Amino acid sequence: MRIALVGFGSVGRSFALLLRERRDALYAREGLLPTLVGVIDSRGAALSERGLDVAELVAAKQRTGSVAGVASGVWLNEFGSADRLLASVGADVLVEASPSHIDNPLPALANLRAGMSRGMHAVTVNKAPLAVAMSALTELAQHNGVMLRFSGAVGAGTPVLSVARSLARGDTITSVRAILNGTTNYILWSMTERSVSYADALAEAQAMGLAESDPSADVDGVDTGVKLVILANAVLGARARFEDVRREGIRGVSAQRVREASGRGKVIKLIGRVECAVENGAHADGGGAGVARVGLSVAPEEVDRHGPLDVQGTGNAVEFTTAVAGVVSIVGAGAGGPQTAVAILRDLVDIWHHSSEQRP
Amino acid sequence: MTPQEPDNDTIVMKFGGTSMKDAATIAKSAGIATSTAGQSRVVVVVSAMDQVTEQLLELGEAAASDNLAAMRVQSQAIRQKHEQTAAALGGRAPTDIGEVLDRLDRLIAGIAAVGELTPRSNDALVAFGETLSAPMMAAAMSTGSTGSVGSAISTDSATGGRACEWFTGQRVGIVTNDQFGRAEPLMDLTLFQVRHTLEPLLARGERAVVTGFIGATQHGVTTTLGRGGSDYTASILGASLRAREVWIWSDVDGLMTADPRITPQARLLERITFAEAIEMGQFGAKSMHPLALEPAAEMGIPVRFRNTFNTESAGTLIVPEPPGTAADGEHPVRSIPLLKNAAMLNISGAAMVGRPGTAAQVFRALGDASVNVMMISQTVSEAGISLVVSRDHAARAKAVLERALMRTHAAKGVRLVDDVNVVAVVGAGMAGHPGVAARVFNAVAQNNINIMAIAQGSSELSISFVVRASQAADAVRALHAEFVG
Repeated sequence: MRIALVGFGSVGRSFALLLRERRDALYAREGLLPTLVGVIDSRGAALSERGLDVAELVAAKQRTGSVAGVASGVWLNEFGSADRLLASVGADVLVEASPSHIDNPLPALANLRAGMSRGMHAVTVNKAPLAVAMSALTELAQHNGVMLRFSGAVGAGTPVLSVARSLARGDTITSVRAILNGTTNYILWSMTERSVSYADALAEAQAMGLAESDPSADVDGVDTGVKLVILANAVLGARARFEDVRREGIRGVSAQRVREASGRGKVIKLIGRVECAVENGAHADGGGAGVARVGLSVAPEEVDRHGPLDVQGTGNAVEFTTAVAGVVSIVGAGAGGPQTAVAILRDLVDIWHHSSEQRP
Repeated sequence: MTPQEPDNDTIVMKFGGTSMKDAATIAKSAGIATSTAGQSRVVVVVSAMDQVTEQLLELGEAAASDNLAAMRVQSQAIRQKHEQTAAALGGRAPTDIGEVLDRLDRLIAGIAAVGELTPRSNDALVAFGETLSAPMMAAAMSTGSTGSVGSAISTDSATGGRACEWFTGQRVGIVTNDQFGRAEPLMDLTLFQVRHTLEPLLARGERAVVTGFIGATQHGVTTTLGRGGSDYTASILGASLRAREVWIWSDVDGLMTADPRITPQARLLERITFAEAIEMGQFGAKSMHPLALEPAAEMGIPVRFRNTFNTESAGTLIVPEPPGTAADGEHPVRSIPLLKNAAMLNISGAAMVGRPGTAAQVFRALGDASVNVMMISQTVSEAGISLVVSRDHAARAKAVLERALMRTHAAKGVRLVDDVNVVAVVGAGMAGHPGVAARVFNAVAQNNINIMAIAQGSSELSISFVVRASQAADAVRALHAEFVG
């Protein structure tokens, strides 16, 4: 299986390293022999039909700031773009792992279009194109007879989407409460456990590299909102867009509010909610026709201390309520390069077993 | 399928060939585009200039058959027509047109060199009609603007600094499959891309002109759309931009209760539903392919038919929700369309009774011969099947059916009744209202008109029946008097 990777940040690098590390196990257990034939970042590309050396890629990125720094690297000129480079890569699967910029989804969308239109299966952990154009991407995959997977886009290594899919089969998910952003959970958790102010908790998260210098994507609930949209479209049969999410961030959460909640045996969490209007099981996976109506919102809320949603640190937690099975929760790590990388690998194995054309 | 609030006040307008006849008509259409929409944001979809698509097809045939003389004549005619029009319109038009005409020459030279006109090159060729008309409309809308956007044309047009920019279907984001000649869009991708292309431009207060009828595959190969071409483009753009309304400009006021040449009392329909419009479209309502409305209908965006030569008339508005139910009981029938030039085939023979597969044989034989069946009627006794086909296909259909059925004794005879018409009554109010059929047939019977076959679909939106061509007009008049007044 020849793999083209776009993005060599924390996730991309972790993925490349994981491929090398898991190589023997993947072959022994799945019969899968992955070869990284191309890596593209914002400044250039490293391409090799026989497979790239991960150590060399990491060294080149450190030395020159781009994977194009390898001996045979290709630098992009000012008019170049990753999607054009992709056209020259002969790969079976495209992995899109460049950073999610919700206000500029077009480059990642162009990459996915370029890959899928050339017959590549696609795995994306970049959430931006999914948040704005999921139905378009699904349609494109279908049109080209390829698979599109994105399990790492929600919950990183915690398989939120596949649990949701299982639950929706034969049952109906009526509502979801979810903590889907590790950074904000860390900030609120610090405020609760150590009674620090929002500003101090944020500064600490920034110092640890958890939060960006501009933290708005996390603390304003953008990231959580995007993940809700992906969940709603992929599993609940909705056709929601990011604009449809009612959103309130955690900037306004005071130390006092956290203390008062504690006094009531509660903790404050940034909760993403999905409320489904149940119309005779109109969910995509429930076999019904039509588009399901969902209400999507993100806001700080009080939840029970020591309840399933009271997760520590950068953890994620999702609580599904279904019509028959009742309440089901899943808890796990929600961020991190290696955690997201393993989700990509999971998707690759999935594609490997489901694609009709199996080449080692 | 629920009506959506428009995100903003946008009107998508389509101008057909008759509204793009010459420089004067284009300037007039441009004036209509910029003045009739008030403060709304405007996106214009254009067809090719009148007759140009036909000329391009002839040019292609001439090139493919190496008929140099004909090629030169057609090529010159197209060049002259557009150069003259562009010169009269001024602005960027002559420059833009020149570039497109040069590309057309290169394509024609290529077709002549290969000596073959493939579906793919045919699409590339006919797409030039709209690619030539769009820059002229854009120029006319820039210079002749009476709206709030200034009339000055920026010299730096390459960066899109103009008040009105033109787009090919490809550049605006219409991605299709590769069924050349009747391509279908990848609708979700198209809706997303079109919005991304046009929204920023409209937000800046600019206007856009888009070539109708044209898309491109995901690999950038030009395709032409099925489903009524430019109307379909307008409907797609309206859905993508969540427009307030889509306006289809032509040379008639809109949809009528009946053909006014048959029934002088025929009135303009002010408001009908998508379901009614699609039903009427099947009967050849003027300038409309029924399925072209689908994207707009799905988004709940009203479509309005208007007349460029009578802008005072508000035309016919097609809306998602059914009109007031109170009116339905009184006026269950909204219009009485008439399908002329039809022929009926009666297949008879006792061997058909209880013999599964006869109907399949009939339709397979007709399908293989490319005969479109317009109406079907069979009784429960199965002793006969009646079919209505276009009169042009009637003889062929009869021969095909005789060959398929008579030799195997599946049927005893195929009788052709030449020159019949199909009369229909259409209206959403008919569904679930008993007695409409009785009123229809009573009105017809009172005029001594014999009904030869009847069909009603399960949607109950229409009842169709076959009469002799000579009695069709009387039937329409009787029904109009009965239901419309």
